[in-house]
Amino acid sequence: MDALLRVHGITRRYGSGCPQCLDNTGAAAGTNRCDACGSVWACRDVSLELRAEEALGIVGESGSGKSTLVKLLHFDDAATSGYVELARMPALEGVDDLYAEGCDWSRDVLSMDRYRQRKARDASMGIVYQHPHLGLRMGVSAGGNVAERLLSAGWRSIAAMRARASELLERTEIPLSRMDEPPRNFSGGMQQRVQIAKALSGDPAILLLDEVTTGLDLSVQARVLDMIRTLREELRLSMLVVSHDLGVINLLCQRTMVMKNGQVVESGLTDQILQDPQHGYTQLLVASQLQ
Amino acid sequence: MRVREWMDRDTAPKGTFAFLDDGAKKDVRRALLKAVAIPGYQVPYGSREMPLARGWGTGGIQITLSMLLPDDVVKVIDQGCDGSVNAVNIKKFYERTARVKITTDTALASVIQTRHRIPEEKMTDRQILVLQVPYPEALREVEPSEAQTRRMHAEADYGRMWLHLYEDIVRFGEIRIAYRYPCTVNGRHVMDPSPIPRWDVPKLHMADTLFLFGAGRERRIYAVPPHTRVEPLEFDDHRFRVEDFSGKACARCGATDTFLDEILMPDGTRTHFCSDSGHCDKRRA
Repeated sequence: MDALLRVHGITRRYGSGCPQCLDNTGAAAGTNRCDACGSVWACRDVSLELRAEEALGIVGESGSGKSTLVKLLHFDDAATSGYVELARMPALEGVDDLYAEGCDWSRDVLSMDRYRQRKARDASMGIVYQHPHLGLRMGVSAGGNVAERLLSAGWRSIAAMRARASELLERTEIPLSRMDEPPRNFSGGMQQRVQIAKALSGDPAILLLDEVTTGLDLSVQARVLDMIRTLREELRLSMLVVSHDLGVINLLCQRTMVMKNGQVVESGLTDQILQDPQHGYTQLLVASQLQ
Repeated sequence: MRVREWMDRDTAPKGTFAFLDDGAKKDVRRALLKAVAIPGYQVPYGSREMPLARGWGTGGIQITLSMLLPDDVVKVIDQGCDGSVNAVNIKKFYERTARVKITTDTALASVIQTRHRIPEEKMTDRQILVLQVPYPEALREVEPSEAQTRRMHAEADYGRMWLHLYEDIVRFGEIRIAYRYPCTVNGRHVMDPSPIPRWDVPKLHMADTLFLFGAGRERRIYAVPPHTRVEPLEFDDHRFRVEDFSGKACARCGATDTFLDEILMPDGTRTHFCSDSGHCDKRRA
């Protein structure tokens, strides 16, 4: 399978950094904060490749850098170092100067200006955050939330946008009678489904899922996961699934990376990692799962 | 006539011409040049203290003062009216500090300063319209943070503004903005055209006249140069509309093609008058 997204050594450091940082932080040191200078290495030298129509899981405890990684890839936060490339795809042809002539891969997206970053992102990615209030405007109607990205992309027909929004809300099982209600009136599960509809509005090739089922009760979790699986099949999406729940990862992902203290400690096929964890931390994670 | 020549004449009073010192004028003119070069972009400048409170037209006054020449003819209007207290006071101020001629006739004026209206009479390429602006930021309605709105302008990130209009249409069937209608200038910046009614917005589009906008309290200057596209935000299936005065006419001059003010008469009935008093007077004369 062809890759869609390549990430090379992406790093996010909060603080000035010092010569001792590399020894003082990371999985081996058991912390991501450097004692000498107080810098926090939220995400350190992470590389990955996301292939077409694949779901890649990222698992780890709180503070392991999973969410930071997603934020960096969605340009919500600026990386300290590293670079990100996108494969040539039709949706991105409209972004100026993204690909060099004849190249299958884009230039480094992280070093582009924010305007083109946003265009590239809106054309290729959707994101679903753990908290619906991060991804949704709670005071704006559900339909309006879905339409926001369409408006940014230059759609100017109310009728066409409403048709697209109802199609997506229907797919995510939101009753159309509630399309013009603000999500703040909705239950947690419904809000999460509106968020998914919004993430899908730009017809993305890549969907970033940041702890989407955390905070939902089990039956709602099952429904949301089921829906994500169906959408992945139907829309042939590539997904980056961040979760601390090995069950979610097992259900959705073919490949998995395990993160600890900002670093990747193990990666491989999901089955392999769950059946035969190599790294001590992965063994602990697998063993701590409720049966 | 050059300012310097004028000042060197024996009859002229010695000292500063048009109230502002040269440094202040230079600062404002520099901002004006940049504003004209980037249509619709808000240029920060050092707003000076004026002999009236900020929020009473000090932005427009500073622009006018910094470009006045001795042989200019100035018209000042407030909500279309030449005779309102604020307009009269500003005119007296210009008369005293710059000795310029004052007029109420749009066609005779070389510089027109206005609050909340654009004159009905078509202006020419020899004239400049200075608009007083209370809130220069068109995106303020949707984003309270200045840092964020500046970023949004820099990245042409106007999805939120469009979403605001979309929500209006979904909830109320139409866009509810009566004045300060947001416009895209030169296909790039979304601009607040100052609190002019919708009626006046089309007059900015591809006009012969230079429009200068000054916000004294908010310390911003921006401009629409002549022959620049000024397009109100609209949807393909919900077009921008101006106010509808069909069936109504000015009770003074009988005009049916002007922006009308609705006036409540002492006997409780309602009647309509032209908002542009200079134009109305001219039609009656």
